[in-house]
Amino acid sequence: MKKTSALLLIALSLLLAASVVGAQTIELTYWTHTDDNRTVIENRYIEEFQAMYPNVTIKRVVNEASKMGDLMLTAFSANNAPDIFNLPIEQEYGYMMHHRVAPVNYKAIGYKDAQDLASQYMPGTFDTVTMDGQIYGLPLELTNWSIYINKNIFRDAGLDPETDYPKTWEEMIEVADKLTLRNGEIITRRGFDFRYPYYLVAMLPMVEQLGGQLLSEDGKTAIVNDEAWIQVFEWFRTWGPHGRNLGSPTYTAARKIFNMDNNDIAMCLTGFYQQGRIRVDNPEFYDSGEWMVVPFPVFENAVNDVGCSYYGHFMMVNAQASAEKQEWAWKFIAYMLDHGWEYLETVNIIQPRQDLLDDPRYMELPYMNVFMDDMARSHMVFLHENGFQFERFIKEAIESVMLSNMPSDEALDILRERIQEVLDDSY
Amino acid sequence: MHRKRGFSMEKKKARWGWVFVTPSLILFAAFSFYPIINAFYESFFNRNLLSLRPPRFVGWDNYIYLFGSKDFWLSVQNTLIFTLGTFLPLLVFSLVLAVFIMSIKRFRRFFQMAFYSPAVLSSVVAALIWLLIFDPRGLANQGLNALMGTAGVNYNWLSTTGMLRLSTIVVYFWKYIGYFTVIFVSGIGSIPDTLREAALIDGANRWTLFWYVTLPLLKPTTMLVSIMAMIQCLKTFSTQYMFTNAGAPTRPINVITLNIYNTAIKDYRIGRATAMSILLFIVMFAFTWLQLKVSRTEEVSHM
Repeated sequence: MKKTSALLLIALSLLLAASVVGAQTIELTYWTHTDDNRTVIENRYIEEFQAMYPNVTIKRVVNEASKMGDLMLTAFSANNAPDIFNLPIEQEYGYMMHHRVAPVNYKAIGYKDAQDLASQYMPGTFDTVTMDGQIYGLPLELTNWSIYINKNIFRDAGLDPETDYPKTWEEMIEVADKLTLRNGEIITRRGFDFRYPYYLVAMLPMVEQLGGQLLSEDGKTAIVNDEAWIQVFEWFRTWGPHGRNLGSPTYTAARKIFNMDNNDIAMCLTGFYQQGRIRVDNPEFYDSGEWMVVPFPVFENAVNDVGCSYYGHFMMVNAQASAEKQEWAWKFIAYMLDHGWEYLETVNIIQPRQDLLDDPRYMELPYMNVFMDDMARSHMVFLHENGFQFERFIKEAIESVMLSNMPSDEALDILRERIQEVLDDSY
Repeated sequence: MHRKRGFSMEKKKARWGWVFVTPSLILFAAFSFYPIINAFYESFFNRNLLSLRPPRFVGWDNYIYLFGSKDFWLSVQNTLIFTLGTFLPLLVFSLVLAVFIMSIKRFRRFFQMAFYSPAVLSSVVAALIWLLIFDPRGLANQGLNALMGTAGVNYNWLSTTGMLRLSTIVVYFWKYIGYFTVIFVSGIGSIPDTLREAALIDGANRWTLFWYVTLPLLKPTTMLVSIMAMIQCLKTFSTQYMFTNAGAPTRPINVITLNIYNTAIKDYRIGRATAMSILLFIVMFAFTWLQLKVSRTEEVSHM
């Protein structure tokens, strides 16, 4: 009897101890996209944070950027999502609209309220992640795209990169044609290629330059200004294999091969962060100065001078995590993002923090003036609860025209019908 | 007394039979039967995959929508084109290759292995390999240019409608031809040699032997291969998914399974996606039933 009671007591004590220990240990999972430069510094931040707070462990998981959207959706729909994640805002917007993410815990990260937090950042930073007066994400980066140029290839084609770079989309076709090398019909060196399939970021501004829009002002009607859309569709047809054969979505993404300086791509559309990747992938090319950045082109008959849309990656916290986990998650996010200058120098991503933007070193960074000027003439990427879906429809429309040689008006009618159906569907 | 003992022996055997079969029945019920029932139930609701709101019952609305949807009928058309374009060559050529393998005396195992090896690759890996081959600078263009005596012609394997559809058929054909060849090889191997010898003694040549002896006796195997090939083709997904992710246009190869994926994962419409899955299941079930019915009307015996 005494033995049994003693054993029972020991078992109970162990159980109690385990539950106490379990309650004190917080394990956070953090999903993000691949970026070798960012992985190095964030792994260090994790070590430092865990050293400061031994009761917290953080597991960082990386996935291909193109797969993150699907993976996150699957995880959330199975109620098995990570505690912390980041996605481009056009994908994150739906999560906020459906209350799947938690508002920022201002006090946990040292702010009084939403206004206090917003005052530390560039005006308008939190517009897209604010709902009912609450902020739902902290910006990891705000990015826009401009045109990177390989000067050597320009000279090889008899062009002066400083003056002959394309300022209009019409010039882009002509310049790219001069830069393109082919073996018969097969392109061996592209002059430029588009940033497929990010059509909301890079293609929709082309339509807006011509006075077109994806939705009417009241958001109830799909496609505004057919002529603008058809002109852009025709531009893509001219670009593709049924036109001047200058590029196609089926070739390797331009930004992935630009850094190698292998004489296979002269220009690509990408962000400030590309410089960090050039520096790591090909230090010789980076140091040579044989690359430069020029503004996003505009159509000759443009009615609006619109640059490539900018988008943000916001760090968000899963609303289904416990209150305690949420608090620690925000603390950890704030700790990471407090290293704004290191993110800028090492990863070449810009947090729109006022202290960073006011730093005199900021504008001295290579071609920062080009990116900032482009950003000043652009706007945040189109956001809608079904934005992801609309982008897929636009992708199919462009591909139909460019690759399947569908008439532009037919492709536009199909696009309009599909988007309108989503707008009309209430559920 | 003997009858009683015999009966209890049967009962014992039956009990043990249930013991061995029950685990797989439970697994089948949990991972196959339950998801089908659940999908059927979901198809009567309107649910956003991301939303925490409870799903809204809509009855047959999802099915009515699909039957009136151009997008859905386009994916049905694409699936039929792919299935007919793949299934028939698979059936015919796997039989031809099996006859070839059985007709040779040396290197039989080597050929079986060579033809079967693509089948062990995952569909994703197979698609990735062929994406490199179909790249404008890849082997497909180089090979076809060499064959046709042309230089620098881009056959747009991943761009134009016709070539893109052909590319997906080629990938599937390459991956599964060996698999069905091996099934036919075992089918041919099961035909008694005595029948062949008797036919040869009676004056049959190789063609007559194949057409009037081997082929009729292969009916059960042919039925098995045709059912399996048809089902495989109807549920094709990875190739089309990988190709469209790599920049190929979606419209020409938007088969039903890809439409289901996009509807669920990209559009968040899980109810509509499950309705499509149920329709696909019904079609596959119908084809299988039809083929089994046809095969039963002409049963084959080696006696």
